[in-house]
Amino acid sequence: MLRTVAATLMATILVSACSAANSPAPSPGTSPAAGTSPGASTGFDPSAISGTAILSGWQSSPAEGNALTQTLLQYQSAFPNVKVDYEPLGGDYAAGMAAKFASRDVPDVFYVDAGYAQQWIDQGYLAPLDDYIAKSAFDTTQFFDGYASIFKGADGKTYGLPKDGNTIAMAYNTALVPTPPKTMDELVTLAQSLKGKNGLKAPLCLSQGLDRGLAFLYAQGGSLLSEDGKTEQIDTPASKTAVQWYMDLFKNGLGMSAADIGDDWCGTSLGKQHAAITFEGGWLDPAMTSTYPDVKYAWAVMPTGSSGSPVTISYTVSYSMGADSKNKDQGWVVLSYLAGKEGMTLWTQGGVALPSRKDVPTPAGKDVLASESTYARPGSGFMPGYNDVQKAFQDAFLNQVQKKTFDAGPVVEATKAAIDKALAQ
Amino acid sequence: MAITTSGGPPSITSAGSARAPSDQATPKRAPGARRAEAIAGYLFVAVPMALFLILNIGALLYAVYISVWRWNLRTGPVTFLGIQNYLDVLDDPTFQRAVQNSVYFTLVWVPLTMAIGLFLAVVVNQKIRGQTFFRASFYFPAIASSAAITTLWIFIVSPYGLFNGIRAALPLDILGSVFGFPPNQNWIHDQDTALNSVIILNAWTTSGTFMLFYLASLQSIPREVYEAAAVDGAGAWQTFRRITFPLLRPGHYFVATVAVIGALQLFDQAIFGGGVNGDPNNALMTMVLYLYNQAFKQFDFSMAAAVGVMLFALIFSATLVQRRLFGRDPEW
Amino acid sequence: MTAPAKATTVPGHAVEVHPVGGRPRWRRRLAYTILIGYAILMFIPFAWSVITSFKTLPDSVNLNIIPQPFTTAGWEYALTKLDPPLPVLFVNSAIIAVAVTITNLVLGSIAGYAFARIRFPGREILFLVVLATLMIPDQLRLVPVYVMFSTIGLTRGLGQYVGVVTVLAISATTIFLMRQFFLSIPRDLEDAARIDGAGFFTTFWRVMLPLAGPALAAVAILQFQGTWNGFFWPVVLLQDPDHYTLPLGLFSFVTSGGFSTNWPPLMAVVVMSTIPILILYIFLQRYFVEGIAASGVKG
Repeated sequence: MLRTVAATLMATILVSACSAANSPAPSPGTSPAAGTSPGASTGFDPSAISGTAILSGWQSSPAEGNALTQTLLQYQSAFPNVKVDYEPLGGDYAAGMAAKFASRDVPDVFYVDAGYAQQWIDQGYLAPLDDYIAKSAFDTTQFFDGYASIFKGADGKTYGLPKDGNTIAMAYNTALVPTPPKTMDELVTLAQSLKGKNGLKAPLCLSQGLDRGLAFLYAQGGSLLSEDGKTEQIDTPASKTAVQWYMDLFKNGLGMSAADIGDDWCGTSLGKQHAAITFEGGWLDPAMTSTYPDVKYAWAVMPTGSSGSPVTISYTVSYSMGADSKNKDQGWVVLSYLAGKEGMTLWTQGGVALPSRKDVPTPAGKDVLASESTYARPGSGFMPGYNDVQKAFQDAFLNQVQKKTFDAGPVVEATKAAIDKALAQ
Repeated sequence: MAITTSGGPPSITSAGSARAPSDQATPKRAPGARRAEAIAGYLFVAVPMALFLILNIGALLYAVYISVWRWNLRTGPVTFLGIQNYLDVLDDPTFQRAVQNSVYFTLVWVPLTMAIGLFLAVVVNQKIRGQTFFRASFYFPAIASSAAITTLWIFIVSPYGLFNGIRAALPLDILGSVFGFPPNQNWIHDQDTALNSVIILNAWTTSGTFMLFYLASLQSIPREVYEAAAVDGAGAWQTFRRITFPLLRPGHYFVATVAVIGALQLFDQAIFGGGVNGDPNNALMTMVLYLYNQAFKQFDFSMAAAVGVMLFALIFSATLVQRRLFGRDPEW
Repeated sequence: MTAPAKATTVPGHAVEVHPVGGRPRWRRRLAYTILIGYAILMFIPFAWSVITSFKTLPDSVNLNIIPQPFTTAGWEYALTKLDPPLPVLFVNSAIIAVAVTITNLVLGSIAGYAFARIRFPGREILFLVVLATLMIPDQLRLVPVYVMFSTIGLTRGLGQYVGVVTVLAISATTIFLMRQFFLSIPRDLEDAARIDGAGFFTTFWRVMLPLAGPALAAVAILQFQGTWNGFFWPVVLLQDPDHYTLPLGLFSFVTSGGFSTNWPPLMAVVVMSTIPILILYIFLQRYFVEGIAASGVKG
């Protein structure tokens, strides 16, 4: 009796799973704009579209929510026929979106972080935007290449438009640091002079992972991959020296991680004056003004290292549409506005992030950060399996710091193994 | 209720398994009545069983199915992999660490919390003043949500938090002088102490619940037993060791089983304390966190499903082993 | 008769373990001191969270018991700047907790009775299935359950509430508790009802259920508390911020970048989410303990 029940249950599950697999996936294509004949590259007329588009993403601070709401209000007055429904996902964004992909009930426009963009593209969750771009004559040349390249698939198609960007720069306490250092050597000298002064827990607040460490690695002439991205380069003398140089900052007490200082992130360390200098992106500004308004700080570009040329890393997020999004036309109206010059100008005025387009004016106070956009290299999403590489580096690095052995060798080994494994897949 | 007194300690069998003596006292039923009874039974359990079968067992079967394919969330099965996912998982050093952590946590936390719970139950069972107050206060930590309590805990064990503050205020700092922990030790973010911090956190919160379970068990031991022991001249500790403790066997079994099942599924505190990567350096990576990581950070659902199936098998076997060790007549 | 056995299961029955000869005074005092100390230890972290919620941010990392200065800024922040606002979180938590408690009471008592007292083929196997559900981690069920629910529309709008309640509607622990309890009731009562011609449902409704007070109270409290504090399924199924429960609000507050060490308002939210359970517990504690004792693990 039990066997029959189990067998029936199993069969039911199998049948339903199989039929889910066999049902044709909705074609990730575009529905022709109303009134145009398929194939003709006639225009896409937003004023002819009406309906609702659901926009989703995350909200990492109230300031961000406000900035977006302002932008959406402007959008709505420009395009009153296509209503936008903003439904941010709380909790773990990636987990929430995964569940939505599985159930094929996805928002029409949503954020995609560079960190998992390639994965989502490979797995077919996103819709290519090329047709829409062509039909609307949307100018994609204005995007900084460091941002836009991340959202191109292996097939050459565009699967997202960068909504903004953020470069990593040096934020320093102006009371403790009268003149910001321009080179890494100057940085080290300055940090040494700041050790133990003024109740600082550490002169620099640093990360033990590649999320910031990569910028230092590049600056000191190291790298993870070869130019063509096909082989690892972490196990080279140049890279090893660079990693050891970074490790030595921890060893000599010049830098500590936020956790070891006792704070949740380096922004708090700067705000509580536990550290004098930290390396963050534009998101630092709203946090500082709202939580630590009395601390005076300023931005400077990433110091130049032994590699001789200025370099830093950047992070970005795209607006994308899902392969299963139901209102693609409406979604495109919203997406093209937000990623267009007007929408992005409004959004970046909120001070949360930098424009990813060259034709959008730099928001106030962000000049230093924006000036890095031309030479910033991607900080994520530039190779498959980067999450694993990051984890390998960070685990090994943290181990060295906590055990106080400060040896870059095991860190390089672990990272090399992870890179090899990632590239092999 | 069958309490047989036959010279040895009473055997505490719970009221009626299907074989309780009073069962045979009911009159035999005609076949029609039997069928009516069966139908009534099915009707009564229909809704709960449907929910369990669909949302639990169904989910498990679905996971088994997913785990043997390369799986795309949108389109379903892509390539048949057989047991390849299972092999890949077992090969992954992060998973091995996760198993190590989960097993370590279980082996340390379960006996520790059971012991504390039992101790508290014995204490509260005494005829002492303020019994209700003690019972209430010992259970107190269990009533908060894991989110709230872990947040609170992280605050307390942070480098400049309450715990280190008390350490500094005490005349003798054992942790510092004997074990070498610096005054501003970050207990949750240090890979050597993170898991132990979580053990202590969970021991503190769950000991109250176990206390209540043991209390119920304790209170079912008849008074006569203790009186007999006293008459025979047994001391307090002897009574406890030779009489109370063994009589609590069903209590041990229940608490241990619940505890092990829960311990192997540690997740909330791990993700709150160490994030989705089990920082620092996998110190807080547990099996369920690894599953979550595979599913929602790596987006590899078939690996995650494989982990889930293996975890289920592990928990199931652990339960069976305990049944062997403890339960002669485990009354679920 | 089972009178002696009954007497020993009276809840709250304290057993005097020590021989009647009395014991040294100092031992007693020492024992009391340790106990009181430990009891106070249980309260300290919570007391600390209350105290911290009235401190300013720089002061919150100090050890002083009295906030210097005493300020309600943390509370104001939590009450005004939290989005969604605290009352909304409260109401959502309450709705879901009450609903889940009711479903558990209804489904649990019916199923518990059936497993205890009705004979039907496959009963023991089905009960094993119930047991097995405890061993399936929620994280594994996440995607299948989400897929199932979204196909029938339980992931949008008000359906989200229905979704969360459905997935939590009945728990194995509830069935165990109720079954255990019903097993402990002598059959005579049922037999009497049967002889009077009552069917199964009438017996359940008129005879067994009225007796089940303590067990039902225990289930109610356990489920209410568990659902109120529950985190996982709400996070997955309640996408709309207006539908967030208190733990979700806490989680999003903590993860919304840069606020996770803003201790005073954080502690205020912790206190707010704990108070209702605390109040319930203080008033209903007796029933809770009695319920567990009467229905739970006697062995």
